[in-house]
Amino acid sequence: MSRLTRRDFLRLAVAAAAWPLAACGKNQGPSVNFFNWSKYIGPDTLPSFTRETGIAVNYEEFADEEEMFAKLRSGARGYDLLIGTDYMISRLKGSNLIDPYPPGVLMSLGNLEAKFRAPPYDPELAFSVPYLWGTTGIGYNKAKLPKVPSSWLDLWDPRHQGKLSMLDNARDCVSVALLLKGFPETETSPEAFRQVKELLISQSPLIKQYSSTTYMDGLVAGELYLAMAWSGDVLQVARENPDIDYVIPKEGSYLWVDNLCLARGSGHREEALRLVDFLLRGDVAAGIANTVRYASPNAAAKAHLDKDLLKDPRVFPDAATASRLRFHAVLDAEASQLWNETWSDVKVAA
Amino acid sequence: MTRLREILRWAIRGRSPAASHLLIAPTSLWLTLFLIVPVAWLLALSLTQRGPYGSVVWSLSWENFSRALNPKYLPILLRTLGYASATTFLALILGFPTAYYLSFFAGRRRETLMILLMIPFWTSCLVAIYSWIIILGREGLLNSLLLRLGLVQAPLSMLNTPFSVVLGMVYFYIPFMILPVFSSLEKIPRALIEASYDLGAGTLATFLKVTLPLSLPGVFAGCLLTFIPCMGDFLTADFLGGPRTYLIGNLIQSQFLMAQDWPFGAALTCLLLLVMLSGLYAYQRLELKEIERA
Repeated sequence: MSRLTRRDFLRLAVAAAAWPLAACGKNQGPSVNFFNWSKYIGPDTLPSFTRETGIAVNYEEFADEEEMFAKLRSGARGYDLLIGTDYMISRLKGSNLIDPYPPGVLMSLGNLEAKFRAPPYDPELAFSVPYLWGTTGIGYNKAKLPKVPSSWLDLWDPRHQGKLSMLDNARDCVSVALLLKGFPETETSPEAFRQVKELLISQSPLIKQYSSTTYMDGLVAGELYLAMAWSGDVLQVARENPDIDYVIPKEGSYLWVDNLCLARGSGHREEALRLVDFLLRGDVAAGIANTVRYASPNAAAKAHLDKDLLKDPRVFPDAATASRLRFHAVLDAEASQLWNETWSDVKVAA
Repeated sequence: MTRLREILRWAIRGRSPAASHLLIAPTSLWLTLFLIVPVAWLLALSLTQRGPYGSVVWSLSWENFSRALNPKYLPILLRTLGYASATTFLALILGFPTAYYLSFFAGRRRETLMILLMIPFWTSCLVAIYSWIIILGREGLLNSLLLRLGLVQAPLSMLNTPFSVVLGMVYFYIPFMILPVFSSLEKIPRALIEASYDLGAGTLATFLKVTLPLSLPGVFAGCLLTFIPCMGDFLTADFLGGPRTYLIGNLIQSQFLMAQDWPFGAALTCLLLLVMLSGLYAYQRLELKEIERA
C-alpha cells in the first residue's frame, strides 16, 4: 500500500473543497421544482424527462393537501409546478398562489379525454391540467369480513367497532355524510349540517383512527377491516395482497381530479410547461397510472395502460357505477369554512 | 491586548448597568427574536379575523376568544391535562429510580448509560413514532412476543389507544425528568448522607429525610419540563392515538394546517399559554411560601 504523501493529501483536500462548488455549478443547468402528492408518480417518469430534455427535476412530496396549501400560503416559495385537487383550484386561485396557463402553449392538451377538458371546477382548464383521477370509496380486508361491504353505512356498523378508519379531512367525510342524509353538496343550511355533524359524531366511537396516510398499513396488518379510502392507494396494495379490495358504495360517491398547476412567482416557467407537456404524453401518463393505480384522464394513455388496469372497474368504473359518481361541487369560501368547522367539531366531540 | 483586557475587566467586574446589559445582550436578543416577537405576533393574530380561504383580515375583534371559550372545547382541555399529568406521573415513577441509580450506583457505567438515555433524543421523533407503530401493532413485535410466550391468547389492540399515547409521551419526555432529578441528586453532598447514617438513621429514613427532600428542586423542575411539552404535544396523539385521544395540540394544529383558521388557532394558543403561565405563577408563589416557611 502506498503511503499517502502530503501532496496527495493536499490534492484530496482541494478536490473535496471543490466538490460542493462543482455540484453547485451542475445545478445551474435548467431545472424545475415539482411539488406532488407522495407516491404519485412512476419510478422512471422524471428520470426520463431529464434524459430527454436535460432539465433537472427537484421533486418534493406532501402527504396532506391542506398542509401543502398552508405551506404555500404561509409564504413558501421556490415551487414551479404543484398538484391541486379540483376543489383546491379555486382556493389556490383565490389566494393568488397559481398562475393561468398561457393559452396555446401545451401541445399535448388534446390528449385529454373530452370529459376532463371541461371539468366543472375549471371549465376552460385555465389554471389546471388534469393529471390523474380517482374515487373515494371503501378499502377493506376480505379475510376479516364475512361479507364484502357495499354501502357507506358499513362504516357505521357497530359490529366493526374499533376496526374502522375514516379519511381525516372535511372534504371526504362531510361530502359523504351529506350524501347519506340526502343533501346536495352545495347545501349550507344549519339543519343539514346539524344532521351531518350528528351522523359523523355517532360514528366516532366505532372509529379506530382518522387518517389519510396510515390506513393502508392498518388494512394490511388486519388492524382495520374497513377504511374510507382513495382508490389508487388501496389498489396499489391490492395488486400484491389478494385480501385487500376496494368498492365504490352503492349510494354513490365522488370522483376527484388532481391537477398540475403553475405556481405563482415561479422562476422556471418554461421548464414547468415543458414538464406538463411531457406528463400529458400518452406513454408517460400511462407509465404513471400503471404504477400508482389511479385512472388517467388521458385518452392517448389508454393504448399504453396495463390491460388489467384498463379493464379494472375499480379504476375505470363501468357505466352503472360511473352514473353514481359525481364531481365535487365548487364551494365558496364561506361554505368551505362551514365544512372545516363541522369537521373540527366532529373531532372535538369524538 | 491590554486594551481588550481592560474592556473585559470592565465588562465582567463593572457594576455599571451598561456592562451587564452588554453581557446579556445575546440572550436578550435571542429571547426578543424567538420568544417575544413570536408571542406578540400570535397575540396580534388572535385578535384579527379570518378572511376567505384562510387569509387574515386585520381588524380588531374578540370573536376568536369567545369562540375558543365555548364549553365544547373544555373536555379537550381537561383530557389534555389528564394525559399530561399521567405522563408526568409515570415519568417521575420511572425516572426517579433511574436518576437515583445513575447518581449513586452506576459508577463506571454512568457515561454509557447517559449516552443510551440521550440516543433516542437524537433520532427524528417521526422515526421513533413509526418504530412504536411497528412494535405495538396487532401483528407487531410486542404482540408476537406475548403470543409466543403464551401470555395472551389473541393479539392485544394496543395502537391508537390511550395506552399507546401515554407510552409514546413518556418515552419522548422522560429524559426531561431524569436529567434534572439526576443533577439535583448529584448536588447532594455525600457527607450529609454519611452523617445521617452515622447518626443512626437507616436506609429508608436517610432516603426519606435527607436524599428525597434535597432532590425536590430537581423533581419539581423535571415535572414542569415534562408537563409543559406534553400540554402542547400533537404528534404522539396524532400517530399513536385515535379519535378519543384528540388533544388541545391537535386542535390547534388542525386550525393552522387543516381548517386554515389561523386567528382562531392563535387564540387557542394564547389561552393555552395563559393557562400554563397562571399555573406556573401559582406554583412559584407556592414555592416562595415554602421557602419562607423553611
